[in-house]
Amino acid sequence: MLNIVVCIKQVLDPEAPASAYKIDADANKVVMSGVPPVISPFDENAMEAALRIKDKQACKISVISTGKGLSRTVLGKVLAVGGDELYLLDDSEFEDLDSFATAALLTAAIKKIGNPDLILTGRQAADTNAGIVGPGIAVTLGLPCITVARKVGVVDGKLRVEKVVPDGYQVMEIALPCLITVGNELGEMRVAALQQLVAARKKPVTIWTHQDLDVDAALMQRTRLMKLFIPQRDSKCEFVDGDTPEERGAKLALRIWESKLVKQDK
Amino acid sequence: MSNGIKLEERLYKFTTSCYRCLVCTKGYPEVVYEVVCPIYKRFRFFTYSLGGMVMLARALYENRIPVGESASEVFYKCVTCGACGEMCAQNDFADSLWMQHELRARCVETGEVPLVNMAVIEGLKKDDNMLQKPKADRGKWAEGLGLRNITQEKADVYFHVGCRYSYDEELWPTLRAAASLLEKAGVDFGIAGKDENCCGGRAYELGYHGEFTKYAENTMELMKSSGAKTIVTPCADGYYAFEVLYDMQGKKGDVKVYHITQYLAKLIKEGRLKPTKNVDLSVTYHDPCHLARKVDPWLRSKQNEIIPIHEKIEKGEMYQPPRDILAAIPGIKLIEMRRTKENAWCCGAGGGVIDAYPEFAEWTARERLDEAKETGAEALVTACPWCKRNFLDTQKGTADMKIVDLVELLQQSV
Repeated sequence: MLNIVVCIKQVLDPEAPASAYKIDADANKVVMSGVPPVISPFDENAMEAALRIKDKQACKISVISTGKGLSRTVLGKVLAVGGDELYLLDDSEFEDLDSFATAALLTAAIKKIGNPDLILTGRQAADTNAGIVGPGIAVTLGLPCITVARKVGVVDGKLRVEKVVPDGYQVMEIALPCLITVGNELGEMRVAALQQLVAARKKPVTIWTHQDLDVDAALMQRTRLMKLFIPQRDSKCEFVDGDTPEERGAKLALRIWESKLVKQDK
Repeated sequence: MSNGIKLEERLYKFTTSCYRCLVCTKGYPEVVYEVVCPIYKRFRFFTYSLGGMVMLARALYENRIPVGESASEVFYKCVTCGACGEMCAQNDFADSLWMQHELRARCVETGEVPLVNMAVIEGLKKDDNMLQKPKADRGKWAEGLGLRNITQEKADVYFHVGCRYSYDEELWPTLRAAASLLEKAGVDFGIAGKDENCCGGRAYELGYHGEFTKYAENTMELMKSSGAKTIVTPCADGYYAFEVLYDMQGKKGDVKVYHITQYLAKLIKEGRLKPTKNVDLSVTYHDPCHLARKVDPWLRSKQNEIIPIHEKIEKGEMYQPPRDILAAIPGIKLIEMRRTKENAWCCGAGGGVIDAYPEFAEWTARERLDEAKETGAEALVTACPWCKRNFLDTQKGTADMKIVDLVELLQQSV
């Protein structure tokens, strides 16, 4: 049986309406009224990759998430769609960790769960867009890694991966164990029916704090947000007068030239 | 430090004002202090009452308890019928409903919501309706009626039918009757057919304020592009959303909002509709919460009126239009139930309870049906698709009582 670990992150809903985003300047935080947190969309793609492997062969899918105030209801969706167990590394000590510290923490958890055959993560998180944690875990565990996969499948005991490149994709084979980061090209995570959501309540959820994990305290570095703000954008609209369309066109060209908005070759 | 529970200062003061009198659960003396709060009557714990929830809200705000599953369950089991707000002497400005909305929003932000709500909201995001039905089927009720589509042609009035009516085929006769009455009265109206979206009201009541904002902006954009200045809706939930929630969030603008019963009562008053045919039926009328009791406090608060508690019952403007229609239909005999208007017992479908706790919704409807039968009336008349659906489902298999929509009754007479 193949042991798969999928790492997921709880983020603010990137698809919420713009008017729902507000900034609490004192706390330096985004405040969203009446908007639930979600699983980072690329991590849902990674979960779907694991489920597609499980559709074809016996697998155990363990899912890990880290942060503070993790929602069992939101993250529990992965158990409803076919995940077998969920580990929540939930502790105030785990808040605002930088990418390397997060990778070290997840590595400690993965070691504690047992050595998996395959680790899947999203290509990057929807909030920071850093894309470091996945390869970071691979480095810490000393595993080979392929980033931005659009298809993942097991063929003759090896992993066959289609990796997205700017002008198409490359087909690669990689030995297990390894780590793959998954892109949106793979497809959306399947939707859980209500009965599956209810049944998932019976699946095991383990909560670990910093006392449960063997992590070097020196590695637990935090990010410090200096300033959070919505950029001011000014737009000006100027109408160009003229009696004929030709005259207006000529004046417009001149105005654009004067404004230095176009490159002015000598 | 607070644990994420943010309540406006006034709401926080409200949470400190409860002295556990339990008046929020009981009706006025006119109904001999009979219980009017479904959640309290069902679960029989102080926590399951406005007073209890107020104490929970305070404890959450003061960080004495976390936003957990058990607190969330109490908030989501409430049918949000608004009876408590009308009864509580400390509650002058619809605070009880505001507080309920705020607390549910906090549950959503922390992910502590009933699982079924997650599925409902996923469906809303995908197909723009609360019933998890395909978007393409939305306008099917109007096929063959030749109604104008306001996304293509201008009209004075936008007839927004809502999610429940759009997809519940058993309720389509009411919609068709409403459209036919509007045509008979010469109203210049249009529908949006398959392009109609949810009003967002139910999402707001479930705590998903972000989704609500999206749909409110969408509806107002439709109003702007269509040139319509008036919304008429047969859905009581929709009426509450347009009249109260849009206004609360500054989205309503100068659009006039009518529930179909208010609009039809107006047309009768103006002589544009004349109910002349005899409808020989004794009926009792069930007041939908979203049509009056949840709207009245907001309108009063807007007028900045502080009405002494026992004068509220005489005011009752919002409760009148459906009764005016019944009075205008020859042959109809109206027998009121014990608990009526402000004291009305909810049908049980409100606040998402019909989806999340269907057994409780049925228990609540059963009590209302029994009360209706006690009057000796032949039919129970209502004016809300959610109430009608819950009553029909509750007495499925039995023909205890005829459940009729007010609009259909009027059509028989015109």
